[in-house]
Amino acid sequence: MLRIGALVVGLLAASLVAPVSSSAADISLGASVQLTGPLANTGRYYRDAYGFAVDRINEKGGVKVGNEQRKLALKIYDNQSDVSLSVRQYTQLVTQDKVNFLLGPFASNFALVDSAVPEKYKIPMVQGGGASDQIFSRNFRYIFGTLAPASDYFESTVEMMTKLHPEPKNVALLYADDAFDVSVAEGTRPLLKKAGMTLALDERYSTNATDFNSLLSRIRSANIDAVLVAGHETEILNFIRQAKSLSVSPKIYSFTVGVPSADFRQALGADADYAFGMTAWLPSASLKDKWFGDAEQFAKEYKTKYGYEPDYHAASAVADVEAFAQAIEDAGTVDPQKVRDALAKLHFDSLYGTIAFAANGQIHLPQTVIQIQGGQVVPVYGKDGFIQQPKYPMPPWNARGTSGRG
Amino acid sequence: MKRLLPILATTVAVVILAAIPWFGSDVLVQFGINTLLLAVLAQGWNIIGGYCGYPSFGNSTFYGLGGYGVGIAMAQWHLPFAIGMCLGAALAVIFAFLLGLPVLRLKGHYFAIATLALAFAMSAIVSNVGIAGQNIGLVLPPLNNDLLFYELSLGLLVVTTLAVFQLTRTRFGFGLIAIRENEEAAAVMGVNTTLYKILAFALSGLFTALAGGIHAYWITFLDPESAFDIGLNVKMMIMAVFGGPGSVLGPVFGAFVLSTVSELLASEVTTVASLFFGVVIVAAVVLMPRGLADLSRRFRAEGWRYLANNIRTYRL
Amino acid sequence: MRVGQADEASEPSCRSNEVTAVTLVAQVLLNGVLLGGLYAIMALGLALVWGVLNIVNLAHGAFIMLGGYLAWYLYSYLSIDPFLGLPITAGVMFALGYGVQRGLLNFIVRAPMFNTLLITFGLDVVITYLAQLLFSADFRTINPSYAGNDIMFGPLIVPQVRLLAFAAAIVLTVGMWLFLLKSRLGRAIRATAQNLVAARLYGVEPRHLYATTFGIGIGLAGTAGALYGAVSQINPYIGAALTAKCFAISIIGGLDNPLGVIVGGIVLGVVESFALLYIGATFGDVASFCVLVAVLIVRPSGLLGRTA
Repeated sequence: MLRIGALVVGLLAASLVAPVSSSAADISLGASVQLTGPLANTGRYYRDAYGFAVDRINEKGGVKVGNEQRKLALKIYDNQSDVSLSVRQYTQLVTQDKVNFLLGPFASNFALVDSAVPEKYKIPMVQGGGASDQIFSRNFRYIFGTLAPASDYFESTVEMMTKLHPEPKNVALLYADDAFDVSVAEGTRPLLKKAGMTLALDERYSTNATDFNSLLSRIRSANIDAVLVAGHETEILNFIRQAKSLSVSPKIYSFTVGVPSADFRQALGADADYAFGMTAWLPSASLKDKWFGDAEQFAKEYKTKYGYEPDYHAASAVADVEAFAQAIEDAGTVDPQKVRDALAKLHFDSLYGTIAFAANGQIHLPQTVIQIQGGQVVPVYGKDGFIQQPKYPMPPWNARGTSGRG
Repeated sequence: MKRLLPILATTVAVVILAAIPWFGSDVLVQFGINTLLLAVLAQGWNIIGGYCGYPSFGNSTFYGLGGYGVGIAMAQWHLPFAIGMCLGAALAVIFAFLLGLPVLRLKGHYFAIATLALAFAMSAIVSNVGIAGQNIGLVLPPLNNDLLFYELSLGLLVVTTLAVFQLTRTRFGFGLIAIRENEEAAAVMGVNTTLYKILAFALSGLFTALAGGIHAYWITFLDPESAFDIGLNVKMMIMAVFGGPGSVLGPVFGAFVLSTVSELLASEVTTVASLFFGVVIVAAVVLMPRGLADLSRRFRAEGWRYLANNIRTYRL
Repeated sequence: MRVGQADEASEPSCRSNEVTAVTLVAQVLLNGVLLGGLYAIMALGLALVWGVLNIVNLAHGAFIMLGGYLAWYLYSYLSIDPFLGLPITAGVMFALGYGVQRGLLNFIVRAPMFNTLLITFGLDVVITYLAQLLFSADFRTINPSYAGNDIMFGPLIVPQVRLLAFAAAIVLTVGMWLFLLKSRLGRAIRATAQNLVAARLYGVEPRHLYATTFGIGIGLAGTAGALYGAVSQINPYIGAALTAKCFAISIIGGLDNPLGVIVGGIVLGVVESFALLYIGATFGDVASFCVLVAVLIVRPSGLLGRTA
């Protein structure tokens, strides 16, 4: 038994003297991201986009600090989709790896817990993976977020619905029971009321639910025109597949996540058609960027490099790295306090949009309504009204072609 | 002298552990808090699983109740941490008495699955309870004092281990072992098996709940998924079984060794860490199914053949 | 009665109206029963392995996931229909299960009970993460052209794929029951559940018998995975939740009799569907685990199990 004790002590000692990995000249950024575990599917956007942005900034000469050009270095850990491991890894990044600044994890509950680390060590974190209002309501000074607030997600969609013919009247609002989706639902209810629509079904469902047959049967029997779903990709996949198998086709349905992601469209094939969604980011050439040219070019290069299309998660992650690069140049130093102040005052155009943080640390971006048409994501409605014609109302399932569409 | 040596060694080990925050890094302290709490869970499981022979798969229920005691007290009622701990402990003990009675009538796998089902049910129920923040969770006021959390966790582990040590010397403890070996015989010998089992379940739950309370305050965020983490049941059980169930220090060593392996893997080979951890578990079960305690006893005599002997003994 | 064909583009869309409260209940009941069939086939292998070998296979859900991927690859790359491909999926998974029992689980058959739980947990971790490395974390669905077709019974809708899955579940379960009851090997397996020595009287080598039983269990898991992929979605992490569900079904139905698993599955499917309808969409799991705990306490050997 004592011998084993010695072994444990030895292992602990080994972990004490683990080598510091970043060289002194580089400005190092650290992140703990979901590379394995249930959230790995979205976590990879952050790993790839962080890496891509750091590489590109270095190719363009790095970041100008005072009179010298310095390169960025990136250290990423895999938190295995485990919240408490991610807190430890952020602490490790700060205290052992001595990174200069922190980039965020994916998902609101991770960002919420991890934001305690930057606050404790007074090192700013810019995170592009958590949109829940809870993260920014704790008066923390060192957390910044590049996802638009959850409560605004359906704003543009509801606005568009009032301009459709025939206008949808009976609305069902379904939302998962987690922090993010409850925020979405709370933001959406007053919008529907203002638009004069009837909230015929307002239902919270369990996160990771796989069976939507009962809800769909209720939607069927209540003559719902529009279904708004705030949830997660796996739930929405099941929802659409079961809607098809029960022939439930409202005039319009819209989902908070999934629709912009290539993986989602691939999994559903032609059944993804007509689904509405929203994104705060589209790979448009009008979004100019200092390092990538513009968003369209970025999307093309990203796809070539990683083999899948970027969505707003990836763009948001790139914006996190760029925000640091810009703030460091503005501050002219890597002093965490000064960079934090520069971040708070930041105002610049990026491939993600204009980066400027509100007093609570969160960004504000309008959501563009998108729809899948023939297997492609088409922007439908933005802040200036209709962009392209939405396909509305959605045809019943048996009136659709089964294959070859797209 | 021979009986004093282990006590002396353990005391020295505790003193060294208590001193770690003064010379270790922040990461080591955080790792320490996590490991010490896991060791408490393994030790708590040891009471019901190791000594009493009832393989609970639902101790995460107690852990979650402990966490929610602290969470509700601090985030909803703005009461001090200590009251939260008491509330959590009370919830856990009440739960153990109410559900222990029917569930502890079941044996073996059935007991394991019933407790697992309770853990699932509690998680699902709490995500519908308003005062517990439903599935959104509770945000606790942050306290940046890892030293305090570390020493609290260590203190809890010491208390838990002393309690288990006491078990091995009392009539109550012998009663539990008798139940494990042969429940009918124990009853014939005059052991009040129902009472003993429920007391063991409650004691196990009490320590587990206290660990959950410390963890909740330390992490400052609580939601049903992390509070009633089903994976935790498997973790505590593996640590106890790996170390040697039914021994005083085995579960503690099991927790230390496995946490260290898992943490080193997570920081060295990040993306395949879980995979390696799975392989380690499979290999450990095949090569040393009676845990570290048995290994340390018999390895001296048998050497490396010990591993092969195990396979020979337990295979079909 | 009318069969909905996907290419009947001219069919008007009036059928989704005027569903009364009564038909809503009937529809939800129907959904629950069909879901229950799928549940039953998922749990059948777990119950068999548990009942006969006394191994609680925590990796059962992971094997279901592997079966789903296998069917997905067969469908996507070789265009083999998921239902017609069931024998292939079942065969490959049987071989895998046979190998796992013979080459790994066999080493600890006589070890204390905790160990089988632990080793299958380790196996679950290994399979899950290997799956992520091999198949990526992308979501997959098996989506044959008829996946959205349905059959109308008056106002009730019966999704064709679910009906097929339900039929497959019934056929397999009854087949399993007959196999255990009538065949020589089946009787040897049942004898093993009582007593290993008795099994030897049938002249079957115990190691082969164990591996065959485990193989059948995993083959059934693979079949369930293929059906699951056709109605839901597959990713490397679906296993754990499925394992939990399978436990509930096995316990509710009982381990002695494959027909009990069908009852368990349908009870659970119906209870969940109605809980979602009447109590609220966050109460599905609460209801099912409460039923499970209640059954455990009142009838530990399951609804159709022999009373101890």
